[in-house]
Amino acid sequence: MDTNNDTAKDRISRIDSYGFERPDGFDYASYEDFYSRYMTVLTRRAMKWSKMMQKSTAVEKGIKVKRYIRKGIPDEHRPHVWMMVSGAQAQMETNPGYYHSVLLEGQKNTKLVDAVVTDLNRTFPDNVKFRKNASPCLQLTLHNVLVAYGQHNKTVGYCQGMNFITGILILVTKDEEKAFWLLDALLGRILPDYYSPEMMGLKTDQEVLGVLVKMKIPAVAELIDRHDVMWTLLVSRWFICLFIDVLPIETVLRIWDCLFYEGSKILFRVALTLIKQYQAYILEAKNFPDVCDKFKDITKGKFVTECHLFMQRIFTEPGNLSKSTIERLREQRRAQLLSQE
Amino acid sequence: MSRKKSQKSKGSSSPAACSIPPAKENGKAGTETQSNGMAMSSRPSLSNSGEFYDIAFKVMLVGDSGVGKTCLLVRFKDGAFLAGSFISTVGIDFRNKVLNVDGVKVKLQIWDTAGQERFRSVTHAYYRDAHALLLLYDITNKTSFDNIQAWLTEIHEYAQKDVVIMLLGNKVDSTHERVVKIEDGERLAKEYGVPFMETSAKSGLNVELAFTAIAKELKHRSMKLPNEPKFKLHDYVKKEVKGSGCCKS
Repeated sequence: MDTNNDTAKDRISRIDSYGFERPDGFDYASYEDFYSRYMTVLTRRAMKWSKMMQKSTAVEKGIKVKRYIRKGIPDEHRPHVWMMVSGAQAQMETNPGYYHSVLLEGQKNTKLVDAVVTDLNRTFPDNVKFRKNASPCLQLTLHNVLVAYGQHNKTVGYCQGMNFITGILILVTKDEEKAFWLLDALLGRILPDYYSPEMMGLKTDQEVLGVLVKMKIPAVAELIDRHDVMWTLLVSRWFICLFIDVLPIETVLRIWDCLFYEGSKILFRVALTLIKQYQAYILEAKNFPDVCDKFKDITKGKFVTECHLFMQRIFTEPGNLSKSTIERLREQRRAQLLSQE
Repeated sequence: MSRKKSQKSKGSSSPAACSIPPAKENGKAGTETQSNGMAMSSRPSLSNSGEFYDIAFKVMLVGDSGVGKTCLLVRFKDGAFLAGSFISTVGIDFRNKVLNVDGVKVKLQIWDTAGQERFRSVTHAYYRDAHALLLLYDITNKTSFDNIQAWLTEIHEYAQKDVVIMLLGNKVDSTHERVVKIEDGERLAKEYGVPFMETSAKSGLNVELAFTAIAKELKHRSMKLPNEPKFKLHDYVKKEVKGSGCCKS
């Protein structure tokens, strides 16, 4: 096994294609095993997508596009498809010059700039493209997008977590302005108000997840209740960072493919799948810290690394999850939270 | 642990409501209710990291974004400081460390929080079970020092009345960028009657001391023997604190 890992280590780059250094203790052997199989999937998907895009690059919503997106958008088409299905492209085209003007404006806002600057060195220090000495240095791009967005959406301004999301948008699009409009699509239209000063959307969705777990995986809900663990402690990062730095990068991007097309419901699917898959393991927890540790452990390993299989599972494992159920639960929980204040 | 509506202990001023349930061997999960006394047992307990302990406390790290809360915790927990390896803390997290205090194994469950103001509505729910709070500012950032008063107001609103508070001026290794004088920190600490020291997560200066002093205070409060002299946290800190190497020694 060890020699196996050593040879795999020789063959697989220490830095992944997005610029992230692989962590200490990275399991090169099983990653190689996964990736060699995943390559076949990627090749097949790339052919299918090329064929579709040759006919039209409009990516109009429909059953076929939805199916294609669930099976993964190839790297080369990802920025374009995200821009199209999220409406970011349309926004960018109807507002020429807006990004640059709002960036200029934002740079005068000292409080905003200070908040953004505090996190620049603390965003993806494990990514070579975000190092101070990198050329081009994506820290500067990150700074600009966050400042412009904070100025554009003054209610939200800058909230920690947005740095990671923007970082990923920059890595994928390699384009400052597109990253800005995608961030606007996510925060302005796709996600509830996770990042506003009251963080009401976050608090609501954590509770909604709690209700869904109670409905679908009652033993886990009972365990969490018994040990008096608040959902926020277990899952706030899942929602705020949209699984960045929680799940492996390939898996995160596959989730985001669906997030841009299908909306924030997908986050519940991912969360429920993880909890359901590891139900027995979670139930071994004997006390409060145990529960917390288990919830960290379940975001690692083969199940989440095998992103293609994982994405199939999220649409079957949690069972039926309708948009109207989510909306109804969100409304209920929000009203309850507001009445508690 | 963590608060919930069911736990109506708000009026209680007992600091010893140590709510970290000691794991029991063969313990059936679920029978562990929150012991309202100390988590002290005749038999040592096993922390989740597998280390035995006699008594457990909850400590929280608070202060503005970027003052070095996570770095301080990692320095204390692992004795390491890797410049440029930290990411901004989103939400809340905790780590355990067991210390030996005068022959007693004290487990500190240390909670690290996001410093950004909007996260406080998520994190202040945790203040109520905290036995101690380490309040940090950054000596190279005046705003983080100016915000200490607001933090103390927040602490007084949400934490137990007799929670142990310690003020820490972090990043003393950055001598050239210093904008908050040690005297300013001392004055503020005196005004609020809390112990104070300057620390460096980078060099390790006073980091161990900050946590040890807290652990000693909590241990003495909860298992004071009849003939034992009272532990004086302020005096202990004054005696043990080390200067950053310029004016004080």
